[in-house]
Formats: sequence, C-alpha cells, structure tokens
Amino acid sequence: MLLLPMLLIAVYSVVNTGNSIVSFTLTLDHFRKFFTDPDFLLILWRSIVIAVKTTVICILLGYPTAYFISKCKEKIGNILILAITLPTWINMLVRTYAWIGILSSGGIVYTILKFLGFGDVELLYTEGAVLLGMVYNFIPFMILQINTSLSKMDKSLLEASADLGANKFLTFWKVTFPLSLPGVISGISLVFLPAVSSFFIPKLLGGGQYFLIGNMIENQFITVGEWNFGSAISMIMAMIMMLSMYAVRKIEERNTGKRKEKRK
Amino acid sequence: MKKDKRFFGKTLMIFMIAFFYLPIVFMIIFSFNSSKSLTTFTGFSMQWYERMLSNSSMMESLYTTIFVALIATAISTLIGTISAIGLSKSKRVVHDVVMQINDFPIMNPEIVTAIGLMLLFITLKIERGLMTMLLAHIAFCIPYVILSVMPKIRSLDPNLADAAMDLGATPWQALTKVIVPQIMSGIFSGALIAFTMSFDDFIISYFVTGSGIKNLSIMVYTMSKRVNPSINAISTLVVVVITVTLLIVNLIPIIKEKSGLHKEEITPKKKGKFVLGGLVIAMVLSVFVLNRPATKGKYEGQTLHIYNWGEYTGENIIAEFEKETGAKVIMDLFDSNEQMYIKVANGESYDILIPSDYMIERLIQEDLLQKLDKSKITCLDLINDDVKGLPYDPNNDYSVPYFWGTVGIIYDKTKVSQEDLENEGYNIFKNQKYKGDIYLYDSERDSFMMALKALGYSMNTNDEKELKEAYDWLIDCVQTMNTEIVTDEIIDNMVQGRKAFGLIYSGDATYVMSENENMGFFMPESGTNLWSDGMVIPRNAKNVELAHEFINFASSFDGAYDNSSFVGYTSSNIEVMDELSITDFAGIDAYTPRSHNVNDEVFNYDEQTRKIISSYWSKVKIAASNAH
Repeated sequence: MLLLPMLLIAVYSVVNTGNSIVSFTLTLDHFRKFFTDPDFLLILWRSIVIAVKTTVICILLGYPTAYFISKCKEKIGNILILAITLPTWINMLVRTYAWIGILSSGGIVYTILKFLGFGDVELLYTEGAVLLGMVYNFIPFMILQINTSLSKMDKSLLEASADLGANKFLTFWKVTFPLSLPGVISGISLVFLPAVSSFFIPKLLGGGQYFLIGNMIENQFITVGEWNFGSAISMIMAMIMMLSMYAVRKIEERNTGKRKEKRK
Repeated sequence: MKKDKRFFGKTLMIFMIAFFYLPIVFMIIFSFNSSKSLTTFTGFSMQWYERMLSNSSMMESLYTTIFVALIATAISTLIGTISAIGLSKSKRVVHDVVMQINDFPIMNPEIVTAIGLMLLFITLKIERGLMTMLLAHIAFCIPYVILSVMPKIRSLDPNLADAAMDLGATPWQALTKVIVPQIMSGIFSGALIAFTMSFDDFIISYFVTGSGIKNLSIMVYTMSKRVNPSINAISTLVVVVITVTLLIVNLIPIIKEKSGLHKEEITPKKKGKFVLGGLVIAMVLSVFVLNRPATKGKYEGQTLHIYNWGEYTGENIIAEFEKETGAKVIMDLFDSNEQMYIKVANGESYDILIPSDYMIERLIQEDLLQKLDKSKITCLDLINDDVKGLPYDPNNDYSVPYFWGTVGIIYDKTKVSQEDLENEGYNIFKNQKYKGDIYLYDSERDSFMMALKALGYSMNTNDEKELKEAYDWLIDCVQTMNTEIVTDEIIDNMVQGRKAFGLIYSGDATYVMSENENMGFFMPESGTNLWSDGMVIPRNAKNVELAHEFINFASSFDGAYDNSSFVGYTSSNIEVMDELSITDFAGIDAYTPRSHNVNDEVFNYDEQTRKIISSYWSKVKIAASNAH
C-alpha cells in the first residue's frame, strides 16, 4: 500500500505511453526534458529555497515557543498545547483562504500598514504571502514535535548539570538542546517536506503565476495530461527529498552516537 | 534576568496565539457578514448559515470528513504503533529499509502520493468512492504515526522490556503495562497528527475519490473560486464543535479535581478517548441534521451524478429538480475541460457532463458519449438557433447547449482608454502603459485564441509555425508585462477594480459589470471564441432516464432562468436570454453574445494541436512565474 504507488510512478516516469499501461516503450526522455530546461530548474530551486526559509522560520519561532511551554506548569502547558493544536483541526484550505481577506488591499493588515505610513503595500500574491501561509500552516507540527521531546526529558538532568557547575546557557546548549534534537528532526520532516511540495498555498496566496514544483506536477497531471513527464518530475523530487532527509538523519545519528560515547 | 526571560516567553506566546487565531477570528466574524465582501463588514446577518444548512452536499461533506478522519485515525494509529514497536525490535537492516519505505509517502509531494494511489486504484480496478478515500487516508496516516512514535521508542531504555519480563511479566504484559504507557504521549501525538492530516487532507482525497463523495476540503476548494461566505459559516461550525468538545474534555477533570471526588491525572490516553467520544457525538448530531424528510416522486431513491463547472448552476434549480423528481442530485465540479476529461477517460461514471464545444467533439471522437434519445428530449425547440447545430455536433445528437458566450476583455473604464482598446485589440496586452496591471486567464485554448487573433491567424490553425508565433507572442507578453495568470479569481478581483483589464468569459464579465458599473467589456474586431457548453450523457452513465429528465429541466424557462440570472452566463434558452437582457442584465453588452463578426470562430478539436498548445501553455505559465 505504501510502496506500490511509488513503483507505479517510477514505471510511469521511464516509459512513453498514452494514459494506458498496455503499450509502452522505455525512455529517459522525460528526465532529459526536465534537466535541460533552465525554467524547470529555476522552479525546483525556488521551491527548495522557500521550503528552507519556511523551515528555518518555523524552528526560530517554534523552538522558543515549545521551550516556553515545556517550562510552564503542566496544566498551563496542556492548555497552551491545546491552543496550538486547535487551529490545525480546522481545514487548511479554509485557514489559508481567510488570509486572502486579511492580506488583500482593503483588508486589516493593509489598513494598519497604511495607517502606519507604509503607503500602498501589495501584500497578497507575493512571495512573502506564500511564506507566511506556509509558516502558518506548518509551524504547529514543529512546536508539537519539539515539545514532545522536551517534555519527556528527565528534569533531574538539569539539576545535575547545574550541580556540576554549568550555567543556564551551558545547560541548555549541552543538555537540553541535544536531547530535544530528535523532536527538531521530526519537526523538520513535518515542515520541510510538505512545504516543498505544497501547491494550493502558492496557488491561493501567490496568485496564479506563482509556480512551485508542486504546481508544476499538478499542472502536468491535471491539465496537460502528460502523466509520464509528471511522474518523472515527481521521481526527481522524491530523490532529492530522500537524499536530503538521509543526510539530516545521518547528522542526527552522528550526534546521538557522540553522546553515547561521552556517557560511557 | 529571569524576569526578562519570562517576559520574552510570554510575549512570544501571545504573538503566536494571535498569529494562530487571527484568521480564525476573521473567518468567524465574516461568516456573519451581511454582504459577500471579505474585507469590509457591512452588518450582521445569518444568511450564510441558512444557505449552509439548506445545502445538503455541504453538510454531507462535513459528515464524510469526520467519518473518514475517525476511522482512518483509529486504524492507522493501531497499525502504525504496532509497526513502530515491531521495527524497534527487528534487525537494523530491516529497520532501515522499512523506515525508508515508510518515508516514501511523507517525502513525496502529497500530489505524487495522490497520483500514485489513483493509478493503483485504477490498475486494480477498484471503483473510487468512500472506500478508496478511506484506504488512502489510512495509508498516508500510518507513516506519520510511525514517525512520531519512533523517537519515543528510541529514547526508551531497550532493557525495559527485558526487566519487566525478568520480573515475571508475559511479553504481552510487558508491552501493554510497560512499553505502551511509556510511549503513550508519542502515540497520542501521532494519532493527533493522523487525525489532523486526514481531517485536513485535500489533494489525496481529491484524486482518489469518486461517485460524488466529497470531504470538506474538496467542497471548499470547489466553492472557493468565487467569494462564498458559506465556507466561513461551515468552518465556524467546525470550530465551535471542536472547541466545545475540547473544552469539555479539559474541564471535566478540573471540575472533578475541585470537588475532590476524583484525583486522577488525565493521561493522554483518556484525553484521546474523550476527544473521540466527543467527535462521535458530533458525528451523530450531524447525521441527525442530515436526516431531512425524504421527498416523494417518480425517481425516488435514485441518484443523478452531474459533473459541471464550478459556480455554474442557479440557486434553486437543484433543489427544485430534486423536489419534482424525488431523486437525489450529486454534483461534482471541475475547473477545466482537461481536468474533466482525465476523470471521465479514466472510467469515472457520471450521468451528465457539461463540457465545452471542442471537448464535446473530442468525447464524441473517442466514443465516450452516448446519443441522446431524441424522443425524450423535448427542449430543443426552446434553444437559440445560434447555438444549435454547431460543427462539433451538427444535429445535436449528443448535446443540448447549456450556456454560451464569447471571450473578451474586461476593463476598468477609469483606467483604460477606449482608443487603446479599439486601436490595439488584443495587442493592448503588450502595451507597456499597463504593465503590472493586467490579468491573463489560465485557459490554454483561450490564451492561444487571443495570441492567434492578435497575430491575425485563425484560432483553429494547426500550422506549427503559427502556433510557435503565438507562443512567442505570449512569452513576450508575460516577460515584459508582469502579468498575473488567474482563473475565476478574476471575477472578484475585477469587481473590486484591482487591475486595469484582463481576458474574461462573457458570462463572468456580465457578473462583474452588474456588480461594478465602472467595468466595460470589449471584443476586438480581430475575432473571438464563440463558445458553448452543452449537456451530454457519457457512455457509462448509470441513470440515463433521469439524465434526460434533467436536460429538459435545465433547459426549461424556469430552470434556465434560475441558472442564467444567478450566474450571469448567457442562457441557451432564447426566451430567457431575451428576458434577462432587458431586465437583470439590461445595458450590459457582455450578456448578449455578438453574432455575424466574420472573424469569430468556434473551436474544433485536433489531438495534435491540443498537445502542442498544452505543452506551450504550461511553458508560458512557468515563464510567467520566473519573470517575477
């Protein structure tokens, strides 16, 4: 159930067919088409850049938030977690849709900025709007993941660290942060991956001409009907994703490995 | 120093909460707005709630969403947790390989997983519907559960289970009494993510669904092309139900604690149970709401599946039709002919489709339609002669026209000079004066129509040199003019006068002009696309009789009047067109399509040309994207 769809796409990406699987010839043309066109490569690059930006912002904002929550009393912490999860239960499309009204000219943010003397700022249908939409939609996953690993941390470790003479910053850097890394890593997977491939956030907030790789794939499948080329793009993307996540995981493994050695 | 930190934390928290809730508060406020506007609050009204409640497909989509999310969460949490525990015990190689496979769906763009699943279901010949949606949701939720349980298990002491068993526990006890409680918070957050993912999912559901089964996202997506505050209303309802459920879950233990009766900690497990319980209650409630009294009629118990353009039917026609026949109507919406074609060509079954001229031609060529039973079609006499017997279906053997019109330029009279329009025609789209102030329409056919007409060619050309010239024209346009390529968003944007002009369908222009009197509609002398959309019955329709009934109903004066007056597109019923052009749409020239311009044409279908235009257009869009 998990593997078969991928295999089908892999098959589709290297054959030349209509929309049927009956008659086909083997080819690498679809991949060639992608890599020889600077426009396609630019879009791939842009998608990765915006996803990286989203992830970095999510960590910068999400980590302190999760840290703060884990420092709260349990009851307050639970309420705060609830406050963060609640919006994610409301349809992502709807919440993104609401931003259109907020950001569009005549909307609330626009009016405030104008009042503050920024003049006519075009907010909607910009890269900033897309970035905002992505951070908004994906940051709860980051916070939840980091918070999970922070809250299950053994609090006596902190005391031990303090007893051994570490100051607060040192304790955080040498004890808390490394222990929360698994949370950060799974947070990154939950933010970076959907951000790279998201297609309706750029569509709604970036306007029709803001193209990311997800839009390109959607376009190939839905309107152009070239499933083979679409599959090829997907394969390329899957490969890049897998390599990058593999790298992240290796780094994490090395870190945990080091820690274990030290413990010995 | 310490105080500073608390202060920073609190400020950040307040900022984050405000960030999270701003759109939601906004949405709730505007669900009570008395006008359609999303930016100005004009007064309190409950009309959007009334509309929502009277819209049975909206309520049904809510039910489907909750149902699918609950089942998918339960099953995927179970399978995911077991697999995670199993994995942690298995050999490193196996573990790594399985984890890599597990990552496939997560690492892929959702749309790829969606396509993959769709291909799978098609290959296995499973009819798409609720079942496939459920299976797909379970499949894509499992990896998330595993991903969030895994770190918990990894941080467990591996000797824990052994210790338990040394102390006399059976392996089962070791698992349920020792391991599971330790990783409960991971399981809970996994279940929460699974539920959220499933509840929120759009892309995967969109591709794997069928038979008119819609979840909330699909519903919203198909409705959001035009501003529709009913979306805000139904979302508000969801917010209220979820908030109430969660509040109850969290308040009960507090109350209990205060009264001192019970001093039990709320474990995440309990919380999960409460949440599920609450949602089941909500689900039962929504079923209750759905149980409207059944209507009686000749076709009672039957269902008519229609596949139509978004925002293409009147306010009452479906309800009226259901009342008259006793049948139930399920309508799916598409936003391009190509999108419709792909679904239909892949075996999705509908009783009625409403595609455009050239697409009808294609469907006939590929033998995907059945001939209409002329003895049952009583409405052809009511149809305007101008849209009957067109080349794509010369005797109307297959289709009955629904709406028709032209393509032209919608422009803001205060910004665009009439002179420029008349002198330049479509070439005004390359006039530097209007740089950054124009919309193109995301339709490959009509964009190429514009370019070909601007160059003085036929829009039905299959000359590759001419097509290439048109392509260069469009590339030049998007690279120098800072264009925005839109679909139906153009309607609201032009109503609000955001840009100077754009390419638009005459029916949308009618609507825009009736909402904003500064707008004008212009059709260049060099010609335009005389299009028409017709009702057809696909070969694999299940309810042919009822489909004929609907064609007659939608073509009758009342049905056609409701459609046309609400949507703004020109009715194919000649009486309705004449009536509306002197009442609702008096003075709006876009409503009455022009006839007898020698340069105007009707699209015909040619597979080779379609392929060329299609791949050219996707390149134009990419170039437009990169030009910014």
